[in-house]
Amino acid sequence: MADTLTDKTSARPWRAPRLSLRRREAIEAWLFVSPTVAGFLVFFLGPLLAVMYFSLTEWNLLTQEATFVGVKNYVDALSVNPDFWHVLRNSFVFAIGLVPLNMTLALTLALALSRPFRGVVFFRTVFFAPVVTSAVAWAIVWRFLLQGEAGAVNQLLASVGIDGPNWLREPDWAMVAVIVTRVIKMVGLNMILYIAALQAIPRDYEAAARLEGASNWQIFRMVIWPLLAPTTLVIFVITMIGSFKVFDHIYLMTGGGPENGTLVLAFYIYEQGFKFFNVGYASALAMIMFVIVLVLTVIQMTLRRKDMR
Amino acid sequence: MTSLTLRNLKKSFGSTEVIKGVDLQVHDGEFVVFVGPSGCGKSTLLRMIAGLEDITAGELYIGDRLVNEVQAAQRGVAMVFQSYALYPHLAVKDNMAFGLKVRKVPAEERERRVQDAAASLKLEALLGRYPRELSGGQRQRVAIGRAIVGNPQVFLFDEPLSNLDAELRVHMRSEIAALHKRLGNTMIYVTHDQIEAMTLADRIVVLREGRIEQVGSPRELYERPANLFVAQFIGSPRMNVLPAASVEKSLSARGLDIGSAEGVGMRPEHISVVEAGSGLLRGAVTLREYTGATTLLHVALEGGETALVVHNGQNMPEAGEDVGLEIAREHMHLFDSQGQAIRPLARAG
Repeated sequence: MADTLTDKTSARPWRAPRLSLRRREAIEAWLFVSPTVAGFLVFFLGPLLAVMYFSLTEWNLLTQEATFVGVKNYVDALSVNPDFWHVLRNSFVFAIGLVPLNMTLALTLALALSRPFRGVVFFRTVFFAPVVTSAVAWAIVWRFLLQGEAGAVNQLLASVGIDGPNWLREPDWAMVAVIVTRVIKMVGLNMILYIAALQAIPRDYEAAARLEGASNWQIFRMVIWPLLAPTTLVIFVITMIGSFKVFDHIYLMTGGGPENGTLVLAFYIYEQGFKFFNVGYASALAMIMFVIVLVLTVIQMTLRRKDMR
Repeated sequence: MTSLTLRNLKKSFGSTEVIKGVDLQVHDGEFVVFVGPSGCGKSTLLRMIAGLEDITAGELYIGDRLVNEVQAAQRGVAMVFQSYALYPHLAVKDNMAFGLKVRKVPAEERERRVQDAAASLKLEALLGRYPRELSGGQRQRVAIGRAIVGNPQVFLFDEPLSNLDAELRVHMRSEIAALHKRLGNTMIYVTHDQIEAMTLADRIVVLREGRIEQVGSPRELYERPANLFVAQFIGSPRMNVLPAASVEKSLSARGLDIGSAEGVGMRPEHISVVEAGSGLLRGAVTLREYTGATTLLHVALEGGETALVVHNGQNMPEAGEDVGLEIAREHMHLFDSQGQAIRPLARAG
């Protein structure tokens, strides 16, 4: 009995090894970020490395045969295949047409809708609604509206004496049509970002400038626009990346036509990979697109940093 | 230098009237302080003078000119904001030169005027810095500098010291006073801090709910408040106001008649502690708050009210001790049933 008692009192309960506060915090921190890190590894870094590898192979999706070919796919794209430069030109035309138009319109709308007035919520909703509208529905409606003579757009133009083109059947006009319809669909997102940025600028800046004699244009140019610069950079980068990645809109509106007039890089990659099953070549194109977007972003951020200094 | 005239000035936001008819004359070179509790309309009134808020009704003259419809920039006023409103993307020099630049003042003159203003405010070493690189006091000086370079007729200050710590506030207060002395411009200053108001103002305008309660020199407001609100707003700790009945008997025993007064006001610093059983009022100390130079006594009076007393003499009573309270006749303020001041305390007929 005495022994049992002694045993009971002397037996130490098991305790986890004591960790220092710093180590405990490190473990907790890793636990908190682990879902994001896992997602990043599985859905971003993994596929990126896979695409990098595929771009160095000739891999036919049908036969499942992958042969290591080094930089052959890149050489094909840049110097052998004549389509690539045409597609790249289209992508740049799309981006150069879309980005300034989208940003200018977004800023104009934001300036008009950042201050409270009767009906402001209605107007914000109207301009933001296309962003959350199904891309398929959007494309179908616009294809209908942009039909040759029967389309509502051309009928509207005819009513003021303008003979509108067959928007989606003529290569140059098709590009204009996809750019404009894409801008109308996506401008609401940038508008909201600009509205948030404008509302974050203290009203006293404007009041101070007005008291000092600045006109509306001077207030915008000398006070508001510089203070919007960080937001403008973010908007520029995401809009540019978005414009290089545009796929659904082209697929649904023109299918890259007419005469490859709207064949842009992302759609070309899709065609090569999933239509012609040249996964290796499509991967090389995807890597080229990745590098183009990366370079443009770095240039933009470097310029901005210089400007800040 | 110039004067300002406000005639029955009104301001409404929708159906809510926030300035309910303000009449005021501000003289050339005068330092006038608008003071009042939060929401009394003092900042709105200042912004109406600046031209940043429309005037709903009434007339505003700057000098002889009616400026109701004149744009802010054409009124000849400069304003220092509570937030300073320094443009974060511009260096101090460019902040100060902003107004001159938009008015297309030649670069040479711009430079000279910025340098002059910077020298007068000891800002020369800071001209190349950005607002984020400045302390609160430095930002404040830059904001004043920006106002000075425009050579305005009237300076407007909207709670310019409220973001500074206590020590810096005292320092900047003296700098603003010195600035007024040096420049001699008309200045209108908004604050909710009565110490700022008392120390800076030639005249104080006490506002409540969009109306002027009293206009006068700091001494006038302190010694002869027009009503209960001003009496309790000006002075710290605030004035004790007791029902007339609680002192009527003691006063009449001394041959003093409080007439139609309903309330009697006594500033805590004017009350002295005397022996228990004597004095105008009797009570017991419930709390002592030692503040260094003085001690604040909370005295529960026989009638059930509590009086605050600033005690700075010897013979500090203990908490719980019975005391008598005495006050000189000339320091008693009488108020009628509407809270309006009645004076003076008369000898009984």
